[in-house]
Parts: sequence; C-alpha cells; structure tokens
Amino acid sequence: MLTSFRWLQELCPVDADVGEVARRISLAGLEVEAMERKGHDLSGVVVAEIRAKQPHPKRDSLTLVRVFDGENEHDVVCGATNVPDPGGRVLFARSGAVLPGGMQIASRKVAGVESNGMICSEEELGIGADGEGIFVVDTDHDALPGTNVADALDLHDVILDISLTPNRPDCLGHVGIAREIGVLFRESYSPRKAAGPRQTFLPEGSFEPGQPTTRLAPFWDSESEKIDSPKLPAVSVQIVDGDRCPRYGAALVSGVEVGPSPFWLRYRLHNLGLRALSNVVDATNLILLEWGHPIHGFDLDRLRGSKVVVRLAGEGEKMATLDGIERTFTSDDLLICDGEGPVAVAGVMGGLESEIRDDTKHVLIECAYFDPRSIRRTSRRMGLHTDSSHRFERGVDPEAIPHVLASASSLIAELGGGAVATDAIDRIVRAHQPASIQLRPERASRLLGTPVSKEESMRILKSLGCRITDHGEDTIDAETPSWRPDLTREVDLIEEVARVRGYDEIPTAMPRAHVSEAGTPGILKLVDELRDAAVACGLYEAINYGFLSMEDLRKARVATDAVPLANPLSEERAVMRTSLLPGLTSAASRAQRHGATEVRLFEIARTFLPTEDVLPHEQTVLAINLAGDRPGWIGGERAFDVYDGKGVIDAIIDRVFGRKPELVPGDVPSFMHPKRSGVVTLAAQRVGFVGEIHPEVADDLELIGRVIYAELDVSALHALSEKLAPPQARDLPKFPAVTRDIAMLVRDAFAAGEIADALQQASNGLAESVRLFDLYRGDQIPEGHRSLAFRVTYRDASGTLTDKQVDKVHGALAKVARDRFDATIR
Amino acid sequence: MAEPDAVQTFEEGLAQIRAGFEQGLRAAKDEPELRLINARYVGPQGELTALLKLMPKLPGDRRRELGQAANALKQAIQQAFDETLERIHRSAREAELTGPSLDLTLPGRWQMPGRLHPITRVRNDVLDIFVSMGFDIADGPEVELYENCFDKLGFPPDHPATDEHDTFFVDGNRPPDAPSVLLRTQTSTIQIREMMKRKPPLAIVSPGAVYRRDDDATHSPMFFQLEGFLVDQDVSFAELKGVLTLFLRRLFDEHVALRFRASYFPFVEPGGEVDMSCVFCRAWEEDHARTAACRVCKGTGWMEILGCGMIHPVVFENVGYDPEKYTGFAFGMGLDRIAMLKYGIPNIKLLYENDVRFLSQF
Repeated sequence: MLTSFRWLQELCPVDADVGEVARRISLAGLEVEAMERKGHDLSGVVVAEIRAKQPHPKRDSLTLVRVFDGENEHDVVCGATNVPDPGGRVLFARSGAVLPGGMQIASRKVAGVESNGMICSEEELGIGADGEGIFVVDTDHDALPGTNVADALDLHDVILDISLTPNRPDCLGHVGIAREIGVLFRESYSPRKAAGPRQTFLPEGSFEPGQPTTRLAPFWDSESEKIDSPKLPAVSVQIVDGDRCPRYGAALVSGVEVGPSPFWLRYRLHNLGLRALSNVVDATNLILLEWGHPIHGFDLDRLRGSKVVVRLAGEGEKMATLDGIERTFTSDDLLICDGEGPVAVAGVMGGLESEIRDDTKHVLIECAYFDPRSIRRTSRRMGLHTDSSHRFERGVDPEAIPHVLASASSLIAELGGGAVATDAIDRIVRAHQPASIQLRPERASRLLGTPVSKEESMRILKSLGCRITDHGEDTIDAETPSWRPDLTREVDLIEEVARVRGYDEIPTAMPRAHVSEAGTPGILKLVDELRDAAVACGLYEAINYGFLSMEDLRKARVATDAVPLANPLSEERAVMRTSLLPGLTSAASRAQRHGATEVRLFEIARTFLPTEDVLPHEQTVLAINLAGDRPGWIGGERAFDVYDGKGVIDAIIDRVFGRKPELVPGDVPSFMHPKRSGVVTLAAQRVGFVGEIHPEVADDLELIGRVIYAELDVSALHALSEKLAPPQARDLPKFPAVTRDIAMLVRDAFAAGEIADALQQASNGLAESVRLFDLYRGDQIPEGHRSLAFRVTYRDASGTLTDKQVDKVHGALAKVARDRFDATIR
Repeated sequence: MAEPDAVQTFEEGLAQIRAGFEQGLRAAKDEPELRLINARYVGPQGELTALLKLMPKLPGDRRRELGQAANALKQAIQQAFDETLERIHRSAREAELTGPSLDLTLPGRWQMPGRLHPITRVRNDVLDIFVSMGFDIADGPEVELYENCFDKLGFPPDHPATDEHDTFFVDGNRPPDAPSVLLRTQTSTIQIREMMKRKPPLAIVSPGAVYRRDDDATHSPMFFQLEGFLVDQDVSFAELKGVLTLFLRRLFDEHVALRFRASYFPFVEPGGEVDMSCVFCRAWEEDHARTAACRVCKGTGWMEILGCGMIHPVVFENVGYDPEKYTGFAFGMGLDRIAMLKYGIPNIKLLYENDVRFLSQF
C-alpha cells in the first residue's frame, strides 16, 4: 500500500525520521519495500507571474507569454489554452531545470520565436495527472513569484510502499499504520476527530421512521450551525441477508455542489496512486485511504424509492457496474439495491446508474461491514479486484462505522458545501463480538525462548487496543480490538508481544538433539547416488517443467493418458508429463539447433500417471539422452551409438550397485527403435531400457542423427537394492592365470554375448573370464559374417594350470564354437 | 676320433664372437640395438649358442678346457651386456631429466564428468547442513490434495492468504464430491504428511518442485522450495533463530548477520521473514563503499532469504498433535533464489531451459 509519511506524521507524530520509522514498522511486519521522496526534484521550478501575453505570430495554437520569476522577466512560448491574464500566477521551469521525467529545460526556438523556459502542467511536474493545460495557481494563494514550487504548493512528502500481509486489514489505511507507529514508538494514539461540517440538520423526516441511527457529533471537532432539514424523501435501509451484511451505516449530505477538488487533495491522491475525479468521489477515496474502510456515495435522487436494500442476487440477475460492464450475478453475490433493483455490487463496485454525477445534489454515504468470505467469492467470480474488495475481503473495522461516516460527511461538506444530517442510519444485524483470549506469559516465555513478563505483556496488549478484562497471577484475559480480526487465540497475542518487542530481542539457542527413528528414506539416497553416478559418466543434469502439451506427448509417442490441468497457463503446459522423453529430447533438439556437436543430458524427475485413486501415481525416473559425437573421440565412427548408452547404464549401475546389468531383447516402448534397443535387467528384474529412439519419432521431435535414450525406473532399482546382498569379500587368487585367445568367423545371427557365455560354460569352471576384444568385418570376411576374437583367462583355484590342461580345455572351447555356432576357428 | 678341425673351429669361433660382440657393443646406441647384438651372439639362435652345439664334437681332453672358455665368454658377454644396458638406461634417464619438457598443454586423456544442475548443487549444500544438524530428508507428491496444501496448514477458506499461491488445479472426470486436487504450491505439504505419519520428535527437511501460476521475468511456473521443520516438547523461537543463523552462516559466510522481521504465513505463528546481510556488497567488511551501488540488496544491505515461524497450533490440531504438549518451528526457502544468488544467475528462466552452454558452467 502506498502511504504518505507526511500524513502519518499528521495522524501520529513521532520523533523519528522516515528511515527509522520505515525500519521499525518493517521489522514489526509492515514491510516497507520502497520509499520515494516527493517535491525534492523541482529545484528549477518556481511560481511566476504573467506579465503579458499575445498570440504567436505564426501559429494560432501558441501564445507568447512574458513571465516574471521573482528576479527577471522571460519570454516563453506556451502551447496551453488556459494561460491566465496578466497578474495570474503559473509554475515556471527556468532554463536549466530538469523535470522529473528527465526533460531538460533549455532556451530554444519554437516556431521561430525564442522561448526561455517552460510553463508547466501538473503532469509535466509529476504532481498530478492533468496534462491538458498549464497549472494555474489559485488567486487566493499567497505565493510570491520566485517561490520554489515545492514550498509554494507544499509538495514535500515521502511515499512509502508498504507490502502488507493479508492478516493485517487494519493497516490498509493511514489510521491503522499510524496506530501501529504509535504502538512501536510508545506514543499514545487514537484516531482524531473530523473537523466537523459547518452546517448540520436534524434528520427529521429524512429517514423512514424506525430506522436505527447513530449520532455523528461525537466524532466532530467543532460545533456546527443547525439549519432546517431539507425537504427530501425519507431514506430507509433494509438488510435482507444479515449474515452477509452484519452492519450497514448511511450518512446524508444535502446540497452539495460537485466540482474539482483542491490541489492538496488531488496531490495526495495522485501520490497514493489514485486519480482525482470530483470533490465527492475524491473525498470517498481519501476516506478509504485514511481509514482503510471503503465507503460509497450514492446520488440520493437516483436512488429509486430512496431505499437501500442489501440482499443476495437472484440467479442471473444483471447490472452494469461503474466500469461500464454488464455483470450477471449468482445467488451467492451480495447486492446493494434501491427500491427497484441493484445499484451496487456490495463491497466490490458501484453501479453505473447511481454513481455521483456533476449534477448530484444529495449524497447518501454508505459505510458497511460485509462478510469477508462473501465479498471474496464475488470478487473472484467476477474477476474484479478493487480497492474496496481488497479491504472488505480482509475484514474492515465494524466498530469504526460511525467515525468513518462522520469523517466522510464532514469532508464532503467541506469540499462541496452542503449540510450534514447530525445522525446517520446505523443498522446492526449482528453486533461485533470481541474475541476474549487468555494469554499466559509463562507459555509465551517458553514458546519464544526468552522471559516475557506479565506487566510487559499487558502494556503491549493495551497499546494495541486490547481491553484487559481480568488478570491473575499467571494469566491475562484480553478482549481484542475490533480492527484486529486476526487476533483469535493465545498464540496471536504471543506473536503481538514478540513483534512489538522485536524479534531481534529474542536470543538464539540451539535445540537439543532430535534423533529420529525412521531416518531418511533409502530411495532419496538412491536418487542422489544415481545422480552422482550420471554426472561421473559425463552427463549434464537437466530440469524440465512437470507439465507440457498433449501434442508433446503425442509427438513423442508416450502415454497420452495424462493428468490434465484445469487452469493451465497455456496449451503448451496443459498436462502433467507421463514420460521424461519429451522434455529431455526437446533440450537435445534445441542444443542441436544451437549447433552443439554433442548432447549428454540426464534428468531425474517424476512422471505422473493417472490412477483409480484421487492422486496420480508419481514415478521417479532417471532418463538419459545422448546425441551427436562422443566427447574427445578421435577417429572414425564418432557418433554416439547404442553401446555408448549401454556403457553409461552399465557404469551407473555398477557404481551404485557394484554389479553389471544385462541388456536383453524385450518389450521396449514404441518410441524406441525396435531393432536397436533393449531391456535393462538387474538380478533378472527389469529396471529400464536403453537404445536408439525410433527414427520416425526422432524425426517428429526434430532430432538430428541417431539419438540414444535410456530410462531407469528408480522405484524398481530401489526395490532391488533392498533385496540385493552387499558384496562379500572373496579370496584373492593364489595361483597364476593363463590367457589364451580364440578367434573365429561366425554368422551375424549369433550374438557375441551368447558365444561368450557358451565358451565360459564349456570351460568346466576353468575360464575366469571370456572377453571379446576384437570384432572385424571387411575384405577377408564373407557377407553376413564377422570375425570375433575372445580372450579367455583360465585359472584353477586349487593349483597352477599346466599347458596340457589349458590346451585341453581351450580345444573344448573351440569345439563348442564350431559345433554350436558353426564357427570357423581362425 | 677327435677332430683337430673342430678344436680350431671352436677356438676361432670364440675369438670371432668375442671380437664381434665387443664391436657391436661399442656401436649399440640404445636398448633395442643392444638387445639385438646380444641376441645375435647369446640368444637361442645366437652364434655362441650355435657354437656350443659343437661341444660334443670336441676331443675329450680339450672339451673341458674349451667349455670353460666358452662359458667364460658367455659370462663376459652377459656382464658387458648388463653394464652397457645400465649405462644406456642411465644416460637415457639423464637425458630425460635434463632435456626439454613434455608439452603439457596437450589435452588430458580422460572422460570428463558432467555437471549437476545448479539447483541440485544448492539443494545438496543446504541438505548437507541440515542433515549434519540431525534433520531427516522427506518428500511428498507434487500432485496434492487441496486439503494438504491449504486447509490443514491453516489457510482459512476463501481467504486472501491464498492469493500468493495462484494455484494450478487438476482437472479430471472425477465425481463432484471428490476432493480438490492441485499442483502443490509449497513444500509445506510435506509437513502435514510427515506429521500425520510420524510422532514427535521430528526434524525434517524436504526439498522439491512446487508450482504457481506465475510466468514472467522473475517468476517461473515451476520452481524449487525447501521446507524444514522441527517438532518436540518445548521447542522455542530462540531455537529457530539459532538453527537458521547457523544454517545461513554455513551456507554463505560465517560473518553474515541476520534480521528477523515479523511476517505472516497461516501455518506459523509467530511468523517471520529472515533478511541476511548482503553477501554481495559484504557490508560487514570495512570497505563499505560498495553497499550503496549493490544490485542485489539495492543499497539496503539486506536481502530477504527465507520465511519461518513457530508451527501454528491449528496445524498441530489438524494432524492430531496436542498443541499444549508440542511446539515446533518451520522454515522455507526458494532454492532457485539461493542458486541465483550464489551463482550470479541473472534470470530464473535460464534454470529451466537446459541449455548445455548454461549447465556446463556450474
């Protein structure tokens, strides 16, 4: 909320500069986000007197003006049509002045005539929104030519931008913030009385008989002249839905003249972010900013039947609001109606028909308390968030209604003339009940970790406006003030005590050790291990949004039975992902477009799969994506292929589990290449898949070249990790090993792994390992064949192998190769 | 029976071998050459080896004498070979140690590791600190019940406190009375889940992705939070201050000062926000001049870093704990924000674009 420090000082003067006040209220929860000084940046702008004016020789739209700035006369070309006659005073920017917008004033020729300086509008000086004509100083203003504009118009102020939390509706007006400053600086504070109208009348005949009323005079500072009651139709207020509107007050100002507001008011509204419109409307806005209580002015002559009826709308009922939009209501929306139909959306926005106009003579001022939840629902439903709804939905002070009405009616009469009814209608369906709360200082001490005395607690509670109804040895019974709906239980009062003392007063301590029984779930540790292993393999970690478009899912040929969002930001992010493939490959595709020669990405994140239950199944998946060239690979065949993917999976699983997974043909997702991908198993359990992305899918995803993709199911790995025994130490070999190679020519149909397994089995336990170390196709090799060379390491745990033994078993291996695989031993 | 020719041949052979070897030895420049010479005379196919095969043909009376001569020659050759080899080795090592250096600017030969995402790095740093203080780690679903995200955390119904949580709701063909489902807007949901599952004492931190309907220059619709809470008997605000002070000093700098400001979150009370002295202009150092121009703290010397407070009794009531018996504190922070601060990342969007040129910087 924008707040005038000047105004705050008027309401609750404290002996501290703006910086100190800002710091103290920030620490207490009213966070000052920005401060802007006003009136300090107009040093070259002064009041000047018009000495002469004549039309511009060439251009009709321009006027040649001679002004006196207190020291010299200057000839200026002015484009405004409202240049006053000689003797009138204007605001003059001397040559060399810099205006708030950054505009540098210099002597220059305008349509052939030298112009020395500029006569300014409000807008040009940043002191108002009016850019139509130049600013003309009121004739009764006593500023002499040469007076700096900031002094002449009293522009000095500091505007604080305060970020208010939603629990503090009391601070949505200057009165509340002043009250808070009073508490923090230990200044006694109570809202001041209004000046009081010059003329008042007894509302005899002004209100329907039986209307409950309240006297406004206690809130006026001065005596007024009593005049005869104006002859007006009698006004009545009826509350139909009292739950939604527990209290409704209405004051009457008769005989006003609508016109522009004085500069001080327009300037204050301008600085606080509101646009000045007319004296009556500006007055209601100023009261809003002062009290934080929205009020609404009705043109009494346009209030049909002189009636105010507060009721819920009928389903489908319609009304045009002030912004000119026709609104349709539901039966949950509260309306303010006159004798015939709706005239305002309660607490949100007025209607077009009953608004204050230039010819308005009698103003009925509404000041009510509406049920916050009701206002909020209506405001949300209509998508209409206003200064008014903002305050009502947080909760205004119901007890302030008479005071606010007194201030508002007094101000309207001050600005627009007219007389105020001495009493206002004040319908109370349900009176405000203060919350009664018991505070135990001992409890506060324990919760805060620092001693809190009963005396100090009582002092703070009283300063906040609480009424102490009783207190015992260790207890304080307090009733909360009507402007603090956020105080409902003991802990709220403890917070108040802590806040007013200052959180900085609380010492720091370390908690006792809290040893938990359960500890961190193993799957979280596993995720970290997998992540570290993936990084160790040279992969970069990606993080994608959890949502994407249906089209992304379709293109990637992943499951399209996805969790949809009811209110997505766009179609691009309308469903939760069912696979990490689209996100990860889009990063890869983008990298390729940027000309990246290699892509090595992984992501560990969740996929969201709809279930029969209320919540979807969230599955944590490790996905890997390789594309382009192997890093640092020199030589032919540089592009990543399936075996790089397999190698990464092997390395990751080996690092985390100390075991090698198997890659076997099997059921891979349809977005994978049917012949170049397989299922990853660990301890005979399926844990993922790896291979090339299906070329058609790769094309659709705009990927270049053969792209490798793999997924590991983290839950499956975690389930396994709980079952797998930790590695057990084995004896180191006591006897030497013998290595022999076996090279063979075989048909492509036989998988190398299968042959290696068969050789191992044929060794009768003597082959410690069978490792493929060469694979060759080429000139010497017949079509459909390849040459495989295995290195077999023989070792006997019980003794040194003799050449003879090795010859024998190696021969048996060759026989297996020939017999089972139709191999030609080379 | 003995042939005088054989004796002569043998003797001449020995002499030739000796002479030939000595000559070869002098000519050998390096180890391979030396080994070649050696093999030529004493290797399996060598001249001396061949000569020794003539031994049976020698007359008996000379055989012993000549055999000894041959053995002596073999030993001499072996000795000379060893000495020469050692000399060659020594001079080669000498040359390596005194000669020109290797070109160490040639690229290293190893598979370089990849990189963790900056958010993960920060998350790990933060978790390490809390785990060392005895906190467990927990997580929960990203698609959550409205109840766990708001109601149980004490957000009043139809209350503007939810305004800062512009929420993504999940659509679905569910019955009208089915509970409302959303993408969690805060990791505080895990507080609810863990408290409903476990009994105090509890000390838990929970990082995770959260979602809000904000997408502009400074907001990402998905971002990462870390929530922490501790519940036991007689947990105090002073302890909250102690834990957070220690945490921020370990994470950023042992000199940082903290400022606790009152604030409002429905699930804590007293609630607050923590400002930390700006770690960019390092206002605590003597050179204060940088403060005024600081881009991060905008000259205030403070930067907002986390929200915190004592867990609200209504939360305890909602999870079935006795608020008279237990108290606790909770805190939450944006991991994105900390990553951006720590690594000088200018734009939150960079965190989710997965541009390798960006990812490889951390």
